[in-house]
Amino acid sequence: MLEVKSGGIETTVQDYPGRVGLLDQGIFPAGPMDDLAFRMANLLVGNDPGAAGLEVTAGGAEFAFTDNRVVAVCGADMQPRINGEPIELWRSYEVKAGDTLTLGWLNGPGFRSYVAVSGGIDVPVVLGSRATYAPGEIGGYEGRALKEGDQLPLGNTGNATPGRRVKPSLVPTYTSEWVVEAVRGPQADPDYFTTEDMEFFFSHAWTLDRNSNRTGYRLDIHQWQWARKTGGVAGGHPSNILDNGYPVGAVNVAGDQPIILTVDGPTLGGFVCCAVVAMGAMWKLGQMVPGWDKLRFKEVDIAQAAELVQQMNQLISEESLEGV
Amino acid sequence: MAQERTIKSPLPGVFYRRPNPESEPYVKEGDRIEAGTTIGLVGVMKSFHEIKADSGGVVVRFLVENEEPIRVGQDLLVLGD
Repeated sequence: MLEVKSGGIETTVQDYPGRVGLLDQGIFPAGPMDDLAFRMANLLVGNDPGAAGLEVTAGGAEFAFTDNRVVAVCGADMQPRINGEPIELWRSYEVKAGDTLTLGWLNGPGFRSYVAVSGGIDVPVVLGSRATYAPGEIGGYEGRALKEGDQLPLGNTGNATPGRRVKPSLVPTYTSEWVVEAVRGPQADPDYFTTEDMEFFFSHAWTLDRNSNRTGYRLDIHQWQWARKTGGVAGGHPSNILDNGYPVGAVNVAGDQPIILTVDGPTLGGFVCCAVVAMGAMWKLGQMVPGWDKLRFKEVDIAQAAELVQQMNQLISEESLEGV
Repeated sequence: MAQERTIKSPLPGVFYRRPNPESEPYVKEGDRIEAGTTIGLVGVMKSFHEIKADSGGVVVRFLVENEEPIRVGQDLLVLGD
């Protein structure tokens, strides 16, 4: 059992890849915003990389253990401590019954921290996943963010692996000015946007709006030129199209405002999507600080996007770890 | 000599001095407050979080404006004895 002493700002149970294959049922995958740090944390403690763990957002959370476990914290630095003693990120530690794990305020760049516990969080599987989709109150722990007093069941701790760390050269670097790989389309130039619009899109340093969350990442308002005068039968504004499915990571342009559809986003709608964030770059979104961080989109083609995913999946391997 | 100290924001976002636009501010300069008193809200990710004083004292002055964007650890107000 893992007892929640404080849920902090927003802490949820997630697994990877979440609730896949259900877009036609109106369900986006949920799962961790930063799937790289999440899977590394699981790997460190000896879990399957996709096992259910915790996503701690914006700082502050406290947990108590009721039996012997191995734990790892990866992602943003929230000054993690076990029984008050500082621990390192990207490293696995043994804990005993009665021990506490505390995450404090954010310290430096990054926004989300991931806690993996050997055995994983054993909440019920809903529609194929343990991930929390809070807007729909599905999955995770009662379909919501954690709060004080919650008791999270844990799975059997099999081959738990304390005393390991991610090789320092392989720990991802966080910043406050991000470069995010994205593929042009499905509704880009010349049919929906002008060439100048897309040049602006791929060169502007976009500021992440403070109201960005797991549903969508809002970017700056921009006066687009638009290739069309109106949306025709789909609506008066040129950003309107007949409702169609949205991919995960789509940059959805609703009127003047681009919004990246993140893991809890909507599955369909009637606005154009000028680009889609590469799957292998989605993790960067999870570490951006709303209201402050900036991002530029770097155009990649489908083959390069596929290569990014492959590189990331290769990184999530025992080869990336070492004993301490 | 009065000991001055600051209350810092535990998270990044936008600082609000009132629970809603029509209400009075949570606290004003000159107010005596106790540890645990709510001094404002920080809004981020479309939700709002109460910021509570970590010690008691007299509010000397605010260091941020209402609706000002703030960083984690930023000083919000000065407390005196």
